[in-house]
Amino acid sequence: MSSAAVSDAQLIARVLVQDDRHAFGELVRRHQSTVRATLRRLTGGNHALADDLSQETFLLAYRNLRSFRQEAKFSTWLYRIAYNVFLADARKMKEVSLPEETEVDDLAPIEASDSMPVASGAALKLDLERAMAALSDAERAAIVQCYHNDLSHEEAAYVLGCPVGTVKTHILRAKQKLKARLAGWGPEATS
Amino acid sequence: MSTTVDKPQPGEDWLDEALRAEGREHVATYLADDGFTARVLERLPRPAALPAWRRPVVALLWLVAAVVGVAAAPDLFYDVFRSLVATVVAQPLTLSRIAVVLFMLGAIAWSTIVYAMRED
Repeated sequence: MSSAAVSDAQLIARVLVQDDRHAFGELVRRHQSTVRATLRRLTGGNHALADDLSQETFLLAYRNLRSFRQEAKFSTWLYRIAYNVFLADARKMKEVSLPEETEVDDLAPIEASDSMPVASGAALKLDLERAMAALSDAERAAIVQCYHNDLSHEEAAYVLGCPVGTVKTHILRAKQKLKARLAGWGPEATS
Repeated sequence: MSTTVDKPQPGEDWLDEALRAEGREHVATYLADDGFTARVLERLPRPAALPAWRRPVVALLWLVAAVVGVAAAPDLFYDVFRSLVATVVAQPLTLSRIAVVLFMLGAIAWSTIVYAMRED
């Protein structure tokens, strides 16, 4: 039987019943890319930190696999663990560095670079990434779950451990901040 | 796969579209494993292995328990043994019966070997 033919649920059952580490390895192989990519987004592109947190995520998933009730998809459950691992690390870092929450008013708008039209798409992508780094952790996480991981608001609420209304609020505020930050890229600036 | 985000057009929700384009790129991008899975598996907690001395000690304890049992109630053991022998001897000796007994003894021996050789 090929590994692709085996569902996540079957692999999870093998891990739980037989402590089959090969089955868990297959689960890690299947989901490592999305979990690592998500954590790279959440950490603002810190690849080394994202990989460390990804390892922590899968170790926690292994230890808590019995508590996975299949109410959500396995990938969504992993995103939830990943977000909690990220938050715990962020809290630890904040205790050390004591940063302050960034306000919209404090953000200087990024000017669009029209001088190089061929590269403008790549420039917008770069500016968007820079602007994302200025969002709060919760706002960035809401954007990552809903836009990058393509989760519904309900699924994002499960991952972030907050009400659906809070997710919508985070997204609204995040988009306001991004629009303010990327004012140079808006229709007013380009028309 | 597009690796860039298109320049926004006036009048559309350009930010929403830019975020969705980023999302499409995010989904399409596959990060190579590069030993990640192996590193995770290395860090998994070790399976709870039973110590090597456990099995002979358990077997010895059962043996001691049996000897103590026999020593504590020798009459009971003798009666049971005699009843068993009488029951077996009373049976007519046929080839098919011998085959069944041999098969059962073989099955018990085989099961015992498989159980003893299993990995914890």
